[in-house]
Amino acid sequence: MKSLLKTILVSTALMSFVPVVSAAETVVWWDFLGGGDGVRMKKLIEDFNAEHSGQIEIQATTLDWGVPFYTKVQTSAAVGEGPDVMTYHASRIPLAVSQNTLAEITPDDMSTMGLSADTFAQQTWEAVNVDGKQYAVPFDTHPIVLYYNKDKLEAAGLIGADGLPTGLDGVDNFKAALQKLKDGGTTWALSTTTADGSFAFRTIYSFLCQQDGSIGTDGHWLEGDNLDKLKNSVQVIADWVKDGLTPEYTDYPSNVALFTSGEAAFMINGVWEVPTMVDLEKQGKLFNWGAIELPVLFNHACTYADSHTFAIPNNVGKTVTPEKHAAVLEVIKWMSEHSLFWATAGHIPANKSVTETAEYKAMQPQATYAKLTANQVFDPKSPHAGVASPLFDIAGNAFTAALNNEIDAQTAAEEMKQGLDELQ
Amino acid sequence: MLRNRRHEYLAAAVLVAPFVLIFGWMFIYPTIQMVQISFTKSPLIGEGVWIGLENYTRMFGDRVFWTAVWNTSYFVLLTVIPGTAVALAIALMVSRLKGWVQSIILAAFFLPFILPVTVVYLIWDWMLNLQFGVAQFIIEPLVGKRVNVWRTTPWFMPMVALLTIWWTNGFSILLFLAGLRNIPRELYEAAALDGGTRWQVFRSITWPLIWPITVLCLTIQLILQLKIFDQVYLFAQGGRTQATMVLVQYIYEQAFQKNSSGYAATIAVALFVIVVVFSVLQFQVLRIRGGDK
Repeated sequence: MKSLLKTILVSTALMSFVPVVSAAETVVWWDFLGGGDGVRMKKLIEDFNAEHSGQIEIQATTLDWGVPFYTKVQTSAAVGEGPDVMTYHASRIPLAVSQNTLAEITPDDMSTMGLSADTFAQQTWEAVNVDGKQYAVPFDTHPIVLYYNKDKLEAAGLIGADGLPTGLDGVDNFKAALQKLKDGGTTWALSTTTADGSFAFRTIYSFLCQQDGSIGTDGHWLEGDNLDKLKNSVQVIADWVKDGLTPEYTDYPSNVALFTSGEAAFMINGVWEVPTMVDLEKQGKLFNWGAIELPVLFNHACTYADSHTFAIPNNVGKTVTPEKHAAVLEVIKWMSEHSLFWATAGHIPANKSVTETAEYKAMQPQATYAKLTANQVFDPKSPHAGVASPLFDIAGNAFTAALNNEIDAQTAAEEMKQGLDELQ
Repeated sequence: MLRNRRHEYLAAAVLVAPFVLIFGWMFIYPTIQMVQISFTKSPLIGEGVWIGLENYTRMFGDRVFWTAVWNTSYFVLLTVIPGTAVALAIALMVSRLKGWVQSIILAAFFLPFILPVTVVYLIWDWMLNLQFGVAQFIIEPLVGKRVNVWRTTPWFMPMVALLTIWWTNGFSILLFLAGLRNIPRELYEAAALDGGTRWQVFRSITWPLIWPITVLCLTIQLILQLKIFDQVYLFAQGGRTQATMVLVQYIYEQAFQKNSSGYAATIAVALFVIVVVFSVLQFQVLRIRGGDK
């Protein structure tokens, strides 16, 4: 009996010395990428897992974009059940910080990943910092751009010697160009999402910035002549609609359909529609097309942009092991380095060393519009701003009727200010 | 005897306990919490600060809240009685059919009911699309121009009401059909022998005997439609949401979009009161109506 006990004890002791085959570190990943870019992100994740087989494994889940995603992140982080890493819109970071949802990315983390402020465009970098602390690593910038039907523009004499659209700068000049297209037999000169004032906010905000205007921030919304500049911005689109150049009350899918079916010569939309065009072109169902930075209608170039970033949730009550943390940093680093493939989704990689490669410069139309990162403007830094935020909602209420000339632009601008002032 | 009764009490308590516990934990406790939160200024997650009746005074002066009350009532008015009437009419017609024809027609009316709201939204959104929608071919000759229904405030609620009736009617039809089948054949035979007209038969036999089902349908519809949210939320997205706001949507907006649980809870309390008042009123009205037959 005694010897049996001894044997058991010894064997147990021996067993504890046998090295356990270390399991791969798993990184739980949440994103909101459900469209064409989601397919590309899945490919990146597969490549990462293959390259790190046995060391790190990403377990990815795609959730619903917008309010559902951010509500889930906020509530799950509060009880320590959030993921290890997630995609996040830069514009939503001020709100997340006020809710204590995000963990800080320390300068040590950044040097571990070999990244720094100089890796990114200045505005993109500023967008992920709140009160001197960094809360996310930018992955891309996704602005709105002007898509064009090259065949129609050529017929109207709007293509320059360099093969790109020309003669579009200035409000009146641009409208004259649209009129020329319309006179040339195009049903609509330019289509954009006129049924959704919150989507159109991206364009209106760009024009506001082109006049050196600003929407302000909490407690100081649209002060001074900014209200007037906002009115001018709304008026630009309302005039296109009034003159029959732009279709009224057009929703998002119709906007895309009007352009791809050749009924509209221009389209203002996000870069994320590039894959749609590329795919249709491959099937031989599309005309010659391209996309450029928004033309300078006012004083200088400026375009609305947001950024998909990687953020680490502040999982309350859960401690992260150094191994796990290192794995998360490796994921972010690898994704940033491999963001060239992400550019096929239309987004502009945030990592400047990627956009400077010869491969990226050969990628069209991405390389043509990528220069706009020097002139981009992000959402105001406020917990009320960002995609699917109260600010977008107020824009929807204020602008939708004005874009379609049911109320005048002045009233819309005032409604916007009133809505923002009422936020609490 | 005494012992026995105590025994019975014990058995009853044991049997009722699971229900009472679950009901208390899942329904009563959250309701109390909701009322408590309505007296605080609190975010979606985390502790709030006690501010007394401030949320309530804010609510009474909030024009969006009153828009939501009006829109919700308007929607109830447009759906509850008309929806039930349509269901009864369809059930009467379907009950005249026989065999597999009846099954197919019934299935056709019931089909929309099993669709999720997202599918309903996509179908109707495309049908009424300003540029490409088939329904515009009906609207254009009637109104003289194409109408973006979801962005034109006077059109919005009636259209949502119409599609809601289309969507949820199958269930009421089924209830009515079951009720109609329970009416004894002999009554109709006797009426036929006495030479009753179709209207007299409906007025004196079908209507009184189907009344309990009508009450049930009206009550279910009333409570369901007071809680209207998904359709309005989906169709109004990105547009003038304030003009078409309904109560549950306003609760959602305040809690999840504007991160202010305290005020959201206040509106929820208001909705709770409205539902109770409406239900009691309807119950009383229907009881009086049912008693004088």
